[in-house]
Amino acid sequence: MVKSQNLLTEVESKALLKKAGIPVVEAEVARSKKEAIDISHEMGFPIVLKISSADVVHKSDSGGVKLGLANATQVGKAYSEILSSIKQAYPKAHIDGVSVQPMAAPGVEVIVGMSKDAQFGPVLMFGLGGILVEVLKDVSFRIVPVTARDAKEMIREIKGYPVLEGYRGQKPASISALEKLIVKVSQFVEKNPQIRELDLNPIFAYPDKAVAVDARIILE
Amino acid sequence: MFEEKIKEFEPIFYPESIAVIGASATSIKAGSVWVWSLKSAGFPGSIYPVGSKSGRIADLEIFTNLRLIPGEVDYVIVATPRQSVLKLLDDCAAKNVKAVQFFTAGFSEMDARQGHKLEERMLEKARRGNIRIIGPNCIGVYCPEHKIPFPMGTLGETGSVGFLSQSGGIAAKLVTIGLARHINYSKGVSFGNGIDLGASDFLQYLAADPKTKTIGAYLEGTRDGARLFNTMKEVARVKPLVIWKGGRTEAGAQAATSHTGSLASSAAIWSAMLRQAGAIEVHSLEELTDTLLIFQQLRHWKGSYAAIIGGLADGGGGNSVAAGDACMENGLKVPSLSLGTKQKLGELLGEVGSILCNPVDVSQAQFRGLETLFQSIDLIARDTNIDIILIQEDIDILLPIYAWKGVEEINDFFIKLAGRQNKPIIVVLPHGSAESERMQIEQKLLAASVPVFCSMERAAKAIYNINQYSCWQEAG
Repeated sequence: MVKSQNLLTEVESKALLKKAGIPVVEAEVARSKKEAIDISHEMGFPIVLKISSADVVHKSDSGGVKLGLANATQVGKAYSEILSSIKQAYPKAHIDGVSVQPMAAPGVEVIVGMSKDAQFGPVLMFGLGGILVEVLKDVSFRIVPVTARDAKEMIREIKGYPVLEGYRGQKPASISALEKLIVKVSQFVEKNPQIRELDLNPIFAYPDKAVAVDARIILE
Repeated sequence: MFEEKIKEFEPIFYPESIAVIGASATSIKAGSVWVWSLKSAGFPGSIYPVGSKSGRIADLEIFTNLRLIPGEVDYVIVATPRQSVLKLLDDCAAKNVKAVQFFTAGFSEMDARQGHKLEERMLEKARRGNIRIIGPNCIGVYCPEHKIPFPMGTLGETGSVGFLSQSGGIAAKLVTIGLARHINYSKGVSFGNGIDLGASDFLQYLAADPKTKTIGAYLEGTRDGARLFNTMKEVARVKPLVIWKGGRTEAGAQAATSHTGSLASSAAIWSAMLRQAGAIEVHSLEELTDTLLIFQQLRHWKGSYAAIIGGLADGGGGNSVAAGDACMENGLKVPSLSLGTKQKLGELLGEVGSILCNPVDVSQAQFRGLETLFQSIDLIARDTNIDIILIQEDIDILLPIYAWKGVEEINDFFIKLAGRQNKPIIVVLPHGSAESERMQIEQKLLAASVPVFCSMERAAKAIYNINQYSCWQEAG
């Protein structure tokens, strides 16, 4: 089991990723209802609120996530609801506050992650998000450092690749943005050997860019 | 690349003298077997048997101590129990030995803690004495050019395929399959626990070795993953690298918290590593030897448009359909023949319809004589839509139609065709009841450098593998 101090919060993880040039949907922690509403106004609606606590592993299962909040009233109400459900589900959790972030427009969901192999060290994984990763294990791996060529190959290697090219009228995802993102993640984990595992899940891929919507970093 | 390795490994693959520790004049010991094997293979240098009692073996004097050998000793083979290894390394150092191979087993592979400790001490002594270690727990070197066989093994012809294996059993199997299928090795090595020289070292040597054009390997794990990965990346750029990874590591079983960690199995990571390095991953001894055979015959070659010639002589039908499936499922394309070829084939064989499709059914030729058969096959081979020719030949059915003389003539034609065509001609000879005739034909074709496989699946997979390498190289 991972000790909670080794698990960075979403806001902490995203701050590190952003500094490394990896595109993320920025999030800020609000410690009061008023702060949450103020930040929402700055970011613009619709807004997503998520519980910010290293002790809460399954945020959405425990009522810790509220999506598509359209105005200040909804943000305020969601803020209170999140805190009361988490206090019920995780009575002992240390709570930083509630993270506030703009609701990302829907895109093709992908996952990029890193784990450490006992023989080969840091390894990156790429896959399509949701069921394709979890049930079908349709993922590809490469050893760090991952070059542009490796990134290109690992994206094309998954069976679900045609989904990225645009499927049934869905807009195609920018493959080159994904390639760049993978290479940047590789450079990031190479520079930070204290990172043990990392998940960017999901990343939304759009026709012109790719952005990590959620992120989790686990330290050694 | 890695040119310095040639000099460094010379005493290992081309020693001028070999001492074998653990030989006996009276009882059959592993060391005795080694002495006999070297002697009967005609090893051109000096062989010095060493045993606890003096006497003679294979017309050679047995020395009771390595230090008593009068001349220089380049290479030592050790086949005595593990209790003796440390003292022996002192003797080797005193005698200025360059490399020692330990057949001796019972180290880290048996007892992780104690065995590992002993290996560390061996390594320490070897470093101090400037000695390289191969093994322990291995059968060492195979070098037909320098007449070094595996123990009890036959020497094959010298050739262009180099191999390394963590397992002695698989190393020996590669040699015997090589003998049977004319896969000729430049050199090979079984390195067991690889406490000093390991996969990366031998890969570098084989990459540098001018005699080696293709490298095959059987690996189970690595003590230095990063080095192995980087070495493979470099080696694959200059020579095809065909890797069979056996077993799984327990080391990878870490508790994972992330999605990535839970999906990253050791087998998946090895496959990714091999692909990333540009190596070709194979999954069995059959696929390894099939792929080495095709690289030996075709070297660098690219093309996946196959003509499948069936109807030799079973009327095509289901066998041709299955052959087409086997090719398509293994990444080959089976395009239709050009209009010109179809037209001329129609004239030759006097039939229209299914025979003009690919797979092509040439069974009608049996009613018009061998010349018609040869002309038809020649025509197909020259079709510009095609870059590889797969011939499915069933000896069980050919024999009653053409008799042995006819079967021989047909295969002589294939050999001639392979000689004048720059497209590969590959023959599939499925097993059946006329096994001894089938084997004779297989030997005849292989001796003439025509690749033979016993099933279309295996042929197609080997062709796919060589194509993958060419594509990978072209992509830069």
